[in-house]
Amino acid sequence: MKIIKLKYWQMFAVFGLVLLMFGTSYSQKEQWYGACTYSVSFPSGDTKAFVEEISWRGIGLDYRYVIDRSYSVGLFFGWNVFYERAENKTTQTENGAITGTSDRTLNAFPIMANIHYYFGERKSIRPYVGLNAGGYIMNQRFETGVFAWEDDGWQWGVAPEAGVVIPVERDFGLMLNGKYNYAFTGESVFGTDINNSFWQVNVGVVWEP
Amino acid sequence: MKRTFPQKLFWLRISFLLMLISSVFALQSCYPGDDVSASDTDLIATFFDKEADFSTKLTYSMPDAIIRLDEDGNPVTDPGPNDQFAINRIKSNLGQAGFAELINPDSLTNVPDVLVIAFANQSTWVSGGCYSSWYSYYYPYYGWCYPVYYTYEIGTLLIAMVDPAESKNALWVAALNGILEDTNVSIQDRLNKGIDQAFEQSPYLYK
Repeated sequence: MKIIKLKYWQMFAVFGLVLLMFGTSYSQKEQWYGACTYSVSFPSGDTKAFVEEISWRGIGLDYRYVIDRSYSVGLFFGWNVFYERAENKTTQTENGAITGTSDRTLNAFPIMANIHYYFGERKSIRPYVGLNAGGYIMNQRFETGVFAWEDDGWQWGVAPEAGVVIPVERDFGLMLNGKYNYAFTGESVFGTDINNSFWQVNVGVVWEP
Repeated sequence: MKRTFPQKLFWLRISFLLMLISSVFALQSCYPGDDVSASDTDLIATFFDKEADFSTKLTYSMPDAIIRLDEDGNPVTDPGPNDQFAINRIKSNLGQAGFAELINPDSLTNVPDVLVIAFANQSTWVSGGCYSSWYSYYYPYYGWCYPVYYTYEIGTLLIAMVDPAESKNALWVAALNGILEDTNVSIQDRLNKGIDQAFEQSPYLYK
C-alpha cells in the first residue's frame, strides 16, 4: 500500500496552464474556446461503496479546438472532491473487514482528451454530444480511529458527455452538461481491484468563437 | 488610458474564473473538524487467511483467560474485570458459528481443529511479525504470525484463531481496538457489540 500525500501543486499547475490557455483562446477566438464549469457529482458503483455522499465540490476546465462548424477536439481537466464520515460502517479489505467511524475522501482529477459534435447553427442554442477519454489521478484516503490508508494512482477511463451551449453575447455563453465517468482500471485503498464511477452535472461559462 | 470593451470583458472573465477556482479551494477546506468522541475511535478489524477452509474446522479449544502482553510481547498475569465476560461472549459467538468446544485438549488424542486465544496488549504495539511459543505450555502449538502490519492501541482485545496442526499465519484474527482500557459502565455493552460485530463481518466462519 503506497502512502503519498496529496499533490496539490500539480493541480495548481494544471489550473495555471488552463488559465494561460484561456488567455490564448481570447486572442485566437476564431479557432479555440474554453469553458469553466462547476460540478456536482453523484457516486455510483465502487465509488459509492466507498463514499455514498453526493460531491458538491467540483470544477472543470475545458479547452476545445473547433475543427469545423460541428466538431471540436480538446482537453478537459477537472477536480472533484468526494467526502463522507461514515459511522459504524463495515468496509471490506483485501483479507478481512473493518467496522467503525471512518472518514473517506476521494479526490478525482480527470485529465482527458475529447471530441464533441454540435447540433444547430453558430450563435444559436447548440446541444452537443461528446466523448472524453484519458484517465484520472485518484487520491483515496480512508481514516478510522487512529489509522489511515491512502492510495494515489492513475486510473484509465472514459466519460461520455451530453450538453448544451447557450450563447449570451457575441463570444460568451453558458454551458450545461452531464457526464458519466467510468475508470476501467483502479485499486482501492486496501489494494483490491475496483472501477470508480460517478455521474456529473456541470454548469458554467463558455468563451465561444 | 481608455479601455476598450474586449479588454474589460477579458478581465471580467478572468476574475470570474478565479472566483470559481477560489470557491472550490474554499470548499475543499470545509472538512469536518477533529471532534472525535470515544465511540468514534471504536474499531473492529478482522483478518483471515484466504487459503483457510473454515468448513472443515468444527471444534475449538480456548484458554479461560485473556492473556496480556507487555511491551515486548511477553505474557503477563494481570486479569481485568471484564475478561470473563468477554470470553463468554466469544464462546457464545463461536457456538453460533457452528464450532463445538473441546474441553481438556491435549496434543495426542483430543486435538481441536482450531485454538482460539484472546489476549490484550498493555502498550501500543505495532505488529507485522510472528510470535514464538510463549503459550505453547497451554496447548501444543508453536507460534503464529500476524497477517498484516498493524498498530494496536493499549487495551486492544485480540482474538486469534490458529490451526494447532500447522505453524503458520493465524487463520483468523479479530481486533477490538483499545476497548479494554475503557472504564465506563458501558464497557460491557461495547464489548458485546464489538465481539458480535467481529463475527458478523466474518461470514466465512459460519458453517
